Amino acid sequence: MSMYILSSHEIKQLAEELRASHDVYGPQVDPQTQQVFFDQLGDVDALNLEAPIPSMPVKEILFPQMEQVLKYKYDAETQNVEMAKPYVEKPKVLFGLRPCDLSGIQVLDRFFLGQEFVDDVYLTHRRQCLLISNTCLNPFPQCFCVCTHSGPDADEGYDLDLTKLQDGYLVKVGSEKGQALADAHDWKPAQAHHLSEQKAVVDRCIDLFPEMATDNKAWVARVMNRITTGFVKSETWEYIGDQCFECGACSFVCPTCSCFNVEDARMCDGECERLRTHDSCSFEGYARMAGDHNPRQPVEDRRNKRFFCKLSYPQSKKYLRPGCVGCGRCQWVCPGDIGLPNVVQYIRREITE
Amino acid sequence: MSNCHGSHAHGNCKPTGLCPIVTFPEVVNIDEIRDEAPEVKTFYMSFLNKDVEREFRIKSGQFIMCTVFGAGEFAVSLPPSPENDRFHISVRAVGKVTHALHALKPGDKLGVRGPFGNGFPFEEIKGKNIIYVAGGIGLIPLRSSIVHALQHREDFGRIILLYGARSSRDLMYQPDIQIWKQNAGFETFITIDRPEAGWDGEVGYVHQLIDKANVPIDNSVAFVCGPPVMFNSVIGEFLKRGMSEDAIVSTLERQMKCGIGKCQHCAIGRTLVCTDGPVYTYRQIKTLGEQI
Repeated sequence: MSMYILSSHEIKQLAEELRASHDVYGPQVDPQTQQVFFDQLGDVDALNLEAPIPSMPVKEILFPQMEQVLKYKYDAETQNVEMAKPYVEKPKVLFGLRPCDLSGIQVLDRFFLGQEFVDDVYLTHRRQCLLISNTCLNPFPQCFCVCTHSGPDADEGYDLDLTKLQDGYLVKVGSEKGQALADAHDWKPAQAHHLSEQKAVVDRCIDLFPEMATDNKAWVARVMNRITTGFVKSETWEYIGDQCFECGACSFVCPTCSCFNVEDARMCDGECERLRTHDSCSFEGYARMAGDHNPRQPVEDRRNKRFFCKLSYPQSKKYLRPGCVGCGRCQWVCPGDIGLPNVVQYIRREITE
Repeated sequence: MSNCHGSHAHGNCKPTGLCPIVTFPEVVNIDEIRDEAPEVKTFYMSFLNKDVEREFRIKSGQFIMCTVFGAGEFAVSLPPSPENDRFHISVRAVGKVTHALHALKPGDKLGVRGPFGNGFPFEEIKGKNIIYVAGGIGLIPLRSSIVHALQHREDFGRIILLYGARSSRDLMYQPDIQIWKQNAGFETFITIDRPEAGWDGEVGYVHQLIDKANVPIDNSVAFVCGPPVMFNSVIGEFLKRGMSEDAIVSTLERQMKCGIGKCQHCAIGRTLVCTDGPVYTYRQIKTLGEQI
């Protein structure tokens, strides 16, 4: 695996150069609200590699909130049907992914592409996609990636990985695609001391967790066994379910939540579109069938399901890691108090009592 | 388009050569519509693309995703394979899409994806007696399995159908049952819930037929399909008589959006009905840990 050392200027140049042939997405800070978005770059100067983790997960780009998956026109007179595929393949670069979001993409890859069937829509978005990750130099208040083994640095799944050091950015190559990109440039190879400096940077970041990442703690590994084997008391699940507002926000901001709904809708010109939209297992109608039979009526059943999905072994087998990547977004958005780290705390409390 | 059409060059092709239609619906023509029972219609259909029709094989017990253009898509159980029988689905009008389906006429088009799901375990049950227990429209998913069993009659012992419905009008596939009856060793017992003028057959619930039919318990498998009340009482009777939990097989239904294990709407416990099911043994159903 080769490593290079690049100046900030060279990094910007790389982004600018990739923009000629790719849609380049990267973290940008909204000047008014100071909110961070991972959006398409109109201008390379807007790329901010020091920004905190974006408010919305990067899955939006590969698995949009709402997307047309089929277009058709049915003529009832002639009984003729025309169908078209509306989604298109575009070369993309995700520039400056936080390691937690990168882990989220890996989970989605394994789920959409690595099971019995391959999801064609996801594959189309993912096929020509270059992933450039960015090591976190210090934790943000809501982070707990050290508990879920998805940060503060990326250890797999990237094409290129960036770490900011004294001399500039250390660029690690993680794939053939990344190597091809490096070979096309005249980048300065990194020295051994750069690697040890990177290790020191990561260690320092981990040491800063108790002091800076104060919002959440979630000893995920400790509760996975209990959730899998069904040892969590039903009172605990009810306590959790009682706090759920059924807003679905946790699923929408989760980098690994991938449930979707499919609806056909008629557009004004007589054409129909099949829309695929994000869905959440906390919604009441999630499992409701025609004829109003709803096998998952009580709210704690549905809550229970989401945490099973994130923290049980059978599901982790599909993802090859826990379903939680420790970004802390669900805790941010939850109007109750049942972001995943808190649920882990509740279950831990039950164990120690 | 990623449908296979015999090229076997797509990621979703199966090594068996049975390539499901995964992403884009294939268009079928409705050839004929038949009233089956109140609110239940049978739609006979054929693929416009004859190459697809030749490639299209359904294992008994699988399901397809059916698109009603302009209304949406629904999962429908177990039409028999077109090679054996005319390709058809029987559907009760219950929700938005199925009502739209019932409003169609012959010559209208539908979209079909599939087949998906695991199918009935016919390989494992060779040499055994098969007991079909159906309630109301529960006969629909079992129909293709009965057709299969009768085609391979020599592979099985006794084949018994216990069938119950609310009234004689609700009995499905009556002409088919008459044809099946002519097969050697196909025993049929039919009951309706309440007495009715002109009905000289059995009256009562399906589980009461078990004794009447003198159902063998040893070396038997029971395929049970019907409403939950009937399901529970029938299974109770079988277990009381000492049938193994592995020998009771049923198919489950759930809301499905994709059919390929991605949308997760059909999750029950740790399984997905679309890829791990829809055929489960009673032992599996018991351990799912959720309401059926």
